[in-house]
Amino acid sequence: MCPAHRPWGLKAVFSAPAAGHSDGSGRHVRIGVRLALIVLLGLLIGRLYQLQVRQHETRAAQADTNRLRTIELPAPRGLIFDRNGELLARNRPSYQLAIVPEELPDDDLDTEAVDEEYEAILRILESLGPNLDRDAVLDMQRNLHQSLGWQDYGRILEHAEVPFSVFEISESEFNALLRRTGVAGAPEESVTIEEEGAVTASMVGLPNLNQPLPIEGLAHLIKNLAQTRQQGNSSEPFPILTGLSREAAFTISEQSFLYPGSRILDVSVREYVYGELASHLLGFMGPIPSSLAGDYQERGYRSLEEQVGLSGVEAAYQDNLRGEPGQRIVEADIFGRVGRTIEEALPYPGQDILLTLDIQLQRAMYLALQDMLTTQDAVSGVAIAIDPRSGQLLGMVSLPSFDNNIFSEGLGEAYTRIIEDERKPLINYAIGGLYPPGSTFKIVTASAGMEEGVITPRTVIVDEGPIYLPSKFFPDDPSQAQEFVSWNHHQDFNHGPLTLRQAIAVSNDIYFYYVGGGYPQRFIGLTQEELARWARVFGYGSATGIDLPGEVRFPVPDDQWKRVNWASSWVQGDSYNMAIGQGYLLATPMQVLQSLVPVANGGTLYQPQVVLQITDPSTGRTQGFEARSIRDIGLDRVTLDTIRLGMRDAVNSVGGTATRGRIEGVIVAGKTGTAEFCEYDPALDDCRRDEEGNLPTHASYLAFAPFNNPEIAVMAFVYDGGEGSTAAVPVGTAILDAWFTIKGQGSLEAGTG
Amino acid sequence: MLFTSASRTAGVSRRGLALVHFDWWLLAACLTLAIFGIAMIFSATRGVIDPVVQNRWTAQIAFLVIGIVAFFVGALLDYRLLRLAGWPGYCFLLGVLVLVELFGLEQNRAVRWLSVGNTVVQPTEVGKFVLIVVVAWYLSRYYSEEKRLSVLLLALGALVPPLLLVYQQPDLGMVVTMLFIIGAMILISGVTAAHFLVLFGLALAVLFLAYGILQDYMLDRIDMFLNPTAPHNLDDVFNVDQALISVGNGGWFGRGWLEGTQSQLFYLRVRHTDFIFSVVAEEFGFVGSCALLLVFGFLLWRLVRTMELAEDAFGRLLVGGVAALILFQMFVNVGMNIRLMPVTGMTLPLVSSGGSSLVSTLFAIGLTQSVNLRRSVRVDAF
Repeated sequence: MCPAHRPWGLKAVFSAPAAGHSDGSGRHVRIGVRLALIVLLGLLIGRLYQLQVRQHETRAAQADTNRLRTIELPAPRGLIFDRNGELLARNRPSYQLAIVPEELPDDDLDTEAVDEEYEAILRILESLGPNLDRDAVLDMQRNLHQSLGWQDYGRILEHAEVPFSVFEISESEFNALLRRTGVAGAPEESVTIEEEGAVTASMVGLPNLNQPLPIEGLAHLIKNLAQTRQQGNSSEPFPILTGLSREAAFTISEQSFLYPGSRILDVSVREYVYGELASHLLGFMGPIPSSLAGDYQERGYRSLEEQVGLSGVEAAYQDNLRGEPGQRIVEADIFGRVGRTIEEALPYPGQDILLTLDIQLQRAMYLALQDMLTTQDAVSGVAIAIDPRSGQLLGMVSLPSFDNNIFSEGLGEAYTRIIEDERKPLINYAIGGLYPPGSTFKIVTASAGMEEGVITPRTVIVDEGPIYLPSKFFPDDPSQAQEFVSWNHHQDFNHGPLTLRQAIAVSNDIYFYYVGGGYPQRFIGLTQEELARWARVFGYGSATGIDLPGEVRFPVPDDQWKRVNWASSWVQGDSYNMAIGQGYLLATPMQVLQSLVPVANGGTLYQPQVVLQITDPSTGRTQGFEARSIRDIGLDRVTLDTIRLGMRDAVNSVGGTATRGRIEGVIVAGKTGTAEFCEYDPALDDCRRDEEGNLPTHASYLAFAPFNNPEIAVMAFVYDGGEGSTAAVPVGTAILDAWFTIKGQGSLEAGTG
Repeated sequence: MLFTSASRTAGVSRRGLALVHFDWWLLAACLTLAIFGIAMIFSATRGVIDPVVQNRWTAQIAFLVIGIVAFFVGALLDYRLLRLAGWPGYCFLLGVLVLVELFGLEQNRAVRWLSVGNTVVQPTEVGKFVLIVVVAWYLSRYYSEEKRLSVLLLALGALVPPLLLVYQQPDLGMVVTMLFIIGAMILISGVTAAHFLVLFGLALAVLFLAYGILQDYMLDRIDMFLNPTAPHNLDDVFNVDQALISVGNGGWFGRGWLEGTQSQLFYLRVRHTDFIFSVVAEEFGFVGSCALLLVFGFLLWRLVRTMELAEDAFGRLLVGGVAALILFQMFVNVGMNIRLMPVTGMTLPLVSSGGSSLVSTLFAIGLTQSVNLRRSVRVDAF
């Protein structure tokens, strides 16, 4: 079409027409129009330069924030086995329905009658269909109640005009409840309530969580929770229903585009095969406590909703069991539909742990102790078994116990029951309870006496009945003297002349009074420094160092301690009491058992340990057990032999305190303990006593076997159980019996196999 | 005086077609924009579930074919015949706006549409072209020769009723568009300095008055533009925010066609119409969006050239009006995408999805070629 002569160069393209319009105004228009065009385009390009070049970094970052979602890939938590490879803790898949506040549709202000956000939540709830049964509704409203608090919970429902049932309690009861649950500002609450309703001031209405809400009520509550969550972490899903069935979970997640704002969380929950048998030892898991949030964040925990071990082995070995969670960065569109994966770091699975525990022995321990608690009508008790050759913990029971599985999925009624139990079942009394050790402490007194040269194996002390320490202020007035009796004096007989070995066997107290504190003009005993020092040598006063959280300790009382804490000086009577494990001395059952270990193994104090082996499942590398010796306590051979023989006699000779402790085919050595304790009774303003004025006693029993080559040492303890010989010895014996039976079966199987 | 030349060529009506003048560059620029637009519409509607929206790009191809036909129809039509459409055009404009006022359909709280058969049409879309013709006719017929202020003021007075009717719908964007076209054409017709000052004063007075009578949604939008962080219509704020992110996300060279995360993942809304420029900016970057603007600049440059080559005042004003319309729409739309202008719902001519807009724009540009083709051969030396 174009003629060949026509110039096609740029000049022609942009050329202005030939000057046909010579007048000035025409030229002005011509230049003005072109100038305007250039200026306007320049304006646009300048702005584009500012946005696309200068602000590119920040805008691109905003675009990334829009599209990128980080999905945590939790590492499979390490499994826990007992020493024989029996599985104790495993992971079970569980599904949760969660709401992602950010992905809920915004309430379109143009449609005033419809609240899009609420409708979306309602649709999500309706998608559950038959899965939203009564239990699910109750579970949901409990969680919502917990998240929102009772006040907001009620206000939201009232505002939405959703009927909900209320139970009324009196104001005083309500205040007591507030105090008990530790709600901050409880007193103010009561004041406002009083003012608001002068007529019905005495009654307070609380939402009744046992009556299911209509689905609309749930939707309103969830909407409000979503809005509070929208400030800050609105992309983080918060679960509203746990324990969803697999089918329901798949149905909802397949149709997730129909339900914006919904998310199915595929979580793994911990399952403890043996439940309450070993709950204190294994522990349980839960979300990171707010008090430790900073601590965990420093350790690289990104989500505070992450489940971590809160007690027992789960807590002590949290970092080993956890592994390293991975992360997947994905692209999501505005509706929250996840597209391609941008970056992925695979999780590194947690390490498996093989415990030193023998679950069969643990079961026998649990049953034996449980039996005894029932028989003695006692509130709590402890049984521990340890390998004295290495410090390996073979079993540990603290009663009352609890089922640690209830922590895995939500905190329901079972949890409330445990929290409100006055016996405090969550405490592991084996390491968290402090009690006077009683006669089991005589091992220490005996060792100190021998090593400090106060006594020899041939030293004979005569039990002629109670002894009297003259009053410091009235030394010549016998009626002012303090009486010290041995347990046998209550039964109206004296043990007569005793060597150390005999004294241990019959657990005579007079003997140990003499050793521990001497007697004016008759016998030079240990000084309080010596007795305290030897107590420390045996591990008293410091934590055993067992690799479990929650261990407590109590300093060894001595002169200085008494001056600081009681503002008075140490007297001879204090030494007497301490010599038989009474008075100011307190220890955990674990500590008492630890003190037996050097006696059983020939002199080495071990740190008790619960982990036998840690295996990394991805590399197969294992970290084996290494005994941790605290010290060689440096006992003379003669001292050791004498104490050991005394303990053997306690079980095996006539008149021994633990003659019920014999078992078939194995020589057992043991030491009973019956420790008086003071339980303050506010009604009496004094310690509780029985009809005869005696203090209640804890029963305890320490034993090891076989005598010549000990492989197990046990501690049985029954709180307020009475006599050690009746309440504790049968438990300890049952444990030893179970151990040798299990071992016998093992060797039998090995033999036949 | 500008129109001394026009009067010199007053006898051009005797001349026929001069195909040698056909501006291939202009057609090439139009086709570049339209074809590029189709590619962008494809990108912007990809993955949308709604099948109507998903097929917008194929529809756009069909409209482009129709538009090319319309372009040549416009080019072959003798623009001088349109002079006859002066009075009838004005009457049509007024009549159709009255019809909308009386029988219009309401959508999104505005009455801008008429139901014709099975389809819904927006009369002002055609109206703005009719307005160009009417104004071009009036100014060339009465103003260009005598330059009397009364003629100018009479013209403005005559335009008040249709503008008020459009404002009544309400359609602020269209009112501003029409005002811009009228203003640009008055300027092109060679207004004297004194007249210009009078008009400028009038415009200022109207602006002050207008702020008092502007409707709420208009104030909202203007206010949002001036003060973007305050709470306004949340949708508009969101859309502009996302547009800015999209534009900035493009960087120098863009993320590549179909690779813009803001547009492909739907964070950017009304992508294929109002915010198609943001898609371009995100996927082709600073370089690409500047190139697009330069093609527009080139197109407008060619129109300005055509305007100046026109041998009669009517033709000159006709081309000037079309150029002003395209420039205004382009500037307002791009400006809205980069927060230089308030949100008006104006599309990017030739690029945005929308059949009637594409066809009518191409027809209008074709009409400018009608002016071009009817020049005397002599003048076009090169």
